[in-house]
Amino acid sequence: MSSSFSNGSLARADAWFGMKMSAVAAIMMAVLLIIPSALTIIYSLHNVPANGSSFGEFVGFRNYEIIFTSNVFWRSVWVTVVFSVGFVVLSTLFGLAMALLLNQEFLGRGLARGLLIIPWATPWLVIGILWKWYADGSVGGLNALLVGLGITGEYQNFLSDPNSALLLAITAAVWRQASFAGILLLAGLQTLPGELYEAAELDGANWWQRLNNVTIPWLRPVLVTVTVLNIIYAFLQFDVIFAMTQGGPGDATQVLSILIYRQLFVVTQIGLGSALAVVLGLAALIGGLVTVKVLYRGKAAN
Amino acid sequence: MTFEMKNQHTTKRGVDRRSFLRGSAATAIGLAAFPAIMSGTAHAAYTGTLDMLAWDFQPDMINNLVSAWTAEGNPAVDVAVIPNLGYSPAIQTRLRGGAEIDLYYNFAYNSQKFIDEGWALKLNDLPGVDELIGDMFESARARHVNAAGDVISVPYFSAVHTLHYNAQFLTDAGIDKVPSTLADIYDASLKLREAGIVEAPYVAFWVKEFCEEYLHTYLLNEGIEAFDEAGKPIFGDDPRTVGVFEWWQNMYREGLAPASVLTDDPGKLSNEMAQGNAALYVLHHYFLTSIRSLEGPQSANVQLAPIGGENATLQIGEVIQLGQIEDEERRLAAWELAKYYGWKDQAGKFTVFEKWADAAGLAAPYPGFFTDPDVVAAFPDYYDLPGLSQIFETGSKVVPARTMPWYPDFQARVGDIVHALLLGQATPQQTVDALTAAANTAQGGPSL
Repeated sequence: MSSSFSNGSLARADAWFGMKMSAVAAIMMAVLLIIPSALTIIYSLHNVPANGSSFGEFVGFRNYEIIFTSNVFWRSVWVTVVFSVGFVVLSTLFGLAMALLLNQEFLGRGLARGLLIIPWATPWLVIGILWKWYADGSVGGLNALLVGLGITGEYQNFLSDPNSALLLAITAAVWRQASFAGILLLAGLQTLPGELYEAAELDGANWWQRLNNVTIPWLRPVLVTVTVLNIIYAFLQFDVIFAMTQGGPGDATQVLSILIYRQLFVVTQIGLGSALAVVLGLAALIGGLVTVKVLYRGKAAN
Repeated sequence: MTFEMKNQHTTKRGVDRRSFLRGSAATAIGLAAFPAIMSGTAHAAYTGTLDMLAWDFQPDMINNLVSAWTAEGNPAVDVAVIPNLGYSPAIQTRLRGGAEIDLYYNFAYNSQKFIDEGWALKLNDLPGVDELIGDMFESARARHVNAAGDVISVPYFSAVHTLHYNAQFLTDAGIDKVPSTLADIYDASLKLREAGIVEAPYVAFWVKEFCEEYLHTYLLNEGIEAFDEAGKPIFGDDPRTVGVFEWWQNMYREGLAPASVLTDDPGKLSNEMAQGNAALYVLHHYFLTSIRSLEGPQSANVQLAPIGGENATLQIGEVIQLGQIEDEERRLAAWELAKYYGWKDQAGKFTVFEKWADAAGLAAPYPGFFTDPDVVAAFPDYYDLPGLSQIFETGSKVVPARTMPWYPDFQARVGDIVHALLLGQATPQQTVDALTAAANTAQGGPSL
């Protein structure tokens, strides 16, 4: 009896201690995440005045109805999906390739690993501006490179063409995010015991088999993290695209985040913009959860 | 109390009525206003610091101008400068967040919206406001006085869309008349290209955010009004409108304008003119200053001409608005600063505008500005000031609908629709229909 009383007191004391320790983080989470998210959902159900003096008229799901019946929204969804798929796949693959390369022994590896950090350490907006200059149709370095290599005969205005503008926006974003993926995956590779490779080699596994049966399974937790983060970054990407094209030409690069920016901050339709933000947030959440599910299902099958 | 703006005669009548009412009240404000009425602005009694927000066009100049005002015995001014790109979202976010800004730059198309949202002050009864409006070109008043007669802003600067053309290139191509109408510009562009002088002769700032200005410029050039007095879109009813969009699409699709104009900034376009890579450039008149100051091989050959032939061009102007200032002394001080910055100084001189004219060729929408000897001396001699004044007076319109509260919604959509036209994704008729729908939708409540 006495012992169980003591255990109960201890458990309560532990719980109380835990709550006290996590209180600051919980308050910060509430202030920075939960309250804004709840407000966004509430705004999305109202016709909020631009000056924010009140929630405004309650309109139920009217804002969602406007969104889902709008061609502008569906066009933006399509652009977002194309951008996101390109961004996630390419940045993960290039990141993996860089990590594999930088995990090898070669002269200057330390310098190369240091350089890997530069794109990741550069702000998204700066990357957008840099790539806008780089892709310029009159003086851009990209054109000089392509003409020099004989790939194109003359300078092209890539950012004025809907397809190449989207492709370049993806490329610019991938350039940064691949380095982030590379850093995480390289860290994962460095924990991989060398014995596993040696055993695989003794079993006669070639490079591809070692990659597929040793490296990738070992990196799976990191790959899941990288992929989920990439999906979130993809859906929320704004800076690079806005700096390069502002969503243009036309609506060729108008991803949902740019559409949200326009509705919330340019034309200040707070309710409609909030409804768009809720939709985008849910899409990113579902995308991330599905990815985790798929990747871990693969692990369970293995 | 409202401001009558139909013509100069009714303007004077409005002032007289107001003067009568003020005179009978004999208020202290009226006394304080007296020197302002007589000589532009007065010393402000407020002793605190005013907050001003501006965009980043020549921030040192802004600070110098404001410091000069303070040095005359006026309150100190804390000037915050933020980038022009994204200024509108930034200021709206600040004001929505409760920022108290006494005086700020604004885009004219936002001005009525800011009044309606309670972010900006109506200026109706402030001392000297009638004189300020009365001093203005009649053509410019609708930008600052709404249909109900409320004064909603004062000028920051004003400009007219004109043609910058390379006179030497036109001569070389055998073009003896400076193009003026849309058809003239198309024909001249073809000749310039066929003569092998310039491959893509025409440049314009056709990025998404700016297509709306060109929409009005080109419609006005053909004598087409886009909106009626109530803001109803009527351009679709005019059979000539489709022709305007055909012209616009052809200029781009036929390569008479370079493909890059959908993303090029004005600095690059000015450089194209200065380097001789383009021969015709339609944008605000003051870009002549930037083309000339680049000192490229063709800079000296670039001149300015009106566009629209017998019709008008678009007159634009960005504005200064006052925040909702409760304290009366502070409000009056901010108003004195607004008058100084957007009209005249205490000596009745266009000091601020003179500096802007000297620095960048910006204009003020006042007839007296163009004849002021100091201003005339300040403007570079390659400007034809009487000609420019004439464009302001009779050759340009401001499109009153551009200050209506729903207009920013429409403005934000025009770029997507026009770019679809230029990229060949929509026909001219579809574009007319889409723009009409966008204007109606913007007036009907929230929509994408």
